[in-house]
Amino acid sequence: MQVLSYSGSQLVDLCSALLLLTCFAIVAQRRLSACVDLFALQSAFLVVTTALVAYLTGNQHLYVAAALTGVIKVIIIPRVLKKVIDRLNVKRELVMYVTVPAGLLICGGLVMLAFFISQPIIPLGFLLTRDSLAIALAIVLIGLFTMIARQKAVTQLVGFLVLENGLFLGATAATYGMPLIVELGVFFDVLIATLIAGIYTNRLQDAFDSVDTNQLTVLKE
Amino acid sequence: MLQAIILVLAQVTVLLAVSPFLVGLIRKVKARLQLRRGASVLQPYADLAKLFQKQPVISTTASWVFTATPYIVFASTLSAGLLVPTFISLNPMNFAGNIIALVYLLALGTFFLILAGLDAGSAFGGMGSSREAIVASLTEPAMILSIFAIALTNGSTNLSTIVHRTALLEGTVTDPSPQLMALAALFIVALAETGRVPVDNPATHLELTMIHEAMILEYSGRYLALLEWAAGLKLALFLSLIANVFAPWGIATTAAPAAMMIGLLVYLAKTAALAVVIGIIECMFAKLRLFRVTDLLGVAFILGLLGLLFFYTLRS
Repeated sequence: MQVLSYSGSQLVDLCSALLLLTCFAIVAQRRLSACVDLFALQSAFLVVTTALVAYLTGNQHLYVAAALTGVIKVIIIPRVLKKVIDRLNVKRELVMYVTVPAGLLICGGLVMLAFFISQPIIPLGFLLTRDSLAIALAIVLIGLFTMIARQKAVTQLVGFLVLENGLFLGATAATYGMPLIVELGVFFDVLIATLIAGIYTNRLQDAFDSVDTNQLTVLKE
Repeated sequence: MLQAIILVLAQVTVLLAVSPFLVGLIRKVKARLQLRRGASVLQPYADLAKLFQKQPVISTTASWVFTATPYIVFASTLSAGLLVPTFISLNPMNFAGNIIALVYLLALGTFFLILAGLDAGSAFGGMGSSREAIVASLTEPAMILSIFAIALTNGSTNLSTIVHRTALLEGTVTDPSPQLMALAALFIVALAETGRVPVDNPATHLELTMIHEAMILEYSGRYLALLEWAAGLKLALFLSLIANVFAPWGIATTAAPAAMMIGLLVYLAKTAALAVVIGIIECMFAKLRLFRVTDLLGVAFILGLLGLLFFYTLRS
């Protein structure tokens, strides 16, 4: 059992590290559809991580959460976003507040910050999720940064979803999953938020011929 | 002593023999994925044999740098290859240098290639050299950082020691998170250093985007053969580095003949699998614009840095 939980802990660490890796790929990526694909990939890694934690801890309700993540975040949300991108007919995001290398450096700094903050907490935590908490915090910060640094509404939405993935990983790592009813509520919220933001993006396109959120600042009563 | 010499010679032979095969395999995978039949995987051997028989033509403006470069590049790449364990983890050349020496042996070859590109006085060569200088200066920090991350998790900078220790653990990777970051960084570096698709396109000639091919455009005959072989060696070297440091399973940990045979077969399988992955990547991605290459190498740098961060902040 000891050996199993040791290599299990390594597997969970590995999957969390893969989540972080995809985060950086999203930050470095300029094409919108590739961003959405990477988000789907990241969610797939999240499914694996959650299922692993469920298997290793025996918390049955985490399997439900993993399955829901799979259906909603790997299949439904990327499809909705792809439809939005198709309709908008924008392939790449040319307007960013920060250049890609600068964004990467900032994200590196954010990860450093997240690691330093979570360093004192980690020895108190469970053996199974040694790195996950720090990584989850880092992913939340990177998601937040993506929302701030990108101008187009679609990538801001991807940033929001990445942030949510980080929160979910954090919840799984720190407490071995929230109560099922809370998780269901969160999934429903995220799905509705994505749908609303998709519709809002389409309206933005109709009103301004652009999904640049900067244009919203010129709105007057 | 005699055994050590035989092992070194066997190692050299394996590297020299495998490298054209890997190049051919990548070409074959690419051809099959593009619904072409493609040349045989043994074609690079025939190319090398043909080139060695041809008479080289040298520009009248070229200096000694031009003729010395193929030998320097080949020798430095081969001696770097001696430091990487291939099928046996106990490398007799372990005392001679660590991973830092390996990085700088490769850099020596790159430096002379850059000089030789400028030396012949053709416009393409100069352009290739300046581009190679950009790429080389950006890959080096990424490579060093990822190598430090590997060295820290294993407690040694000697490649053979790293591989031997990991291999003796029998299947469990010592510390997955920093290793994964270092692996991703090293893979991007390998693509950039060996002139593979997101950075450079090895399949084109006389195109404004090429880097490595532009530098060696003036070479012909046996000089070209040596440079092509050296490029193949560099590829084989990076693939063995990735395969043996991150997945040393199956490598021979003793000098027993049976273990070495298994080690050799596993080594061939692993490097061939990596070559197939590279072939698939070359089909899936377009070549980046030159000024986007910095983004990709920036990712590699940050990932190498993250590997170190994992170690320093989370493990201390």
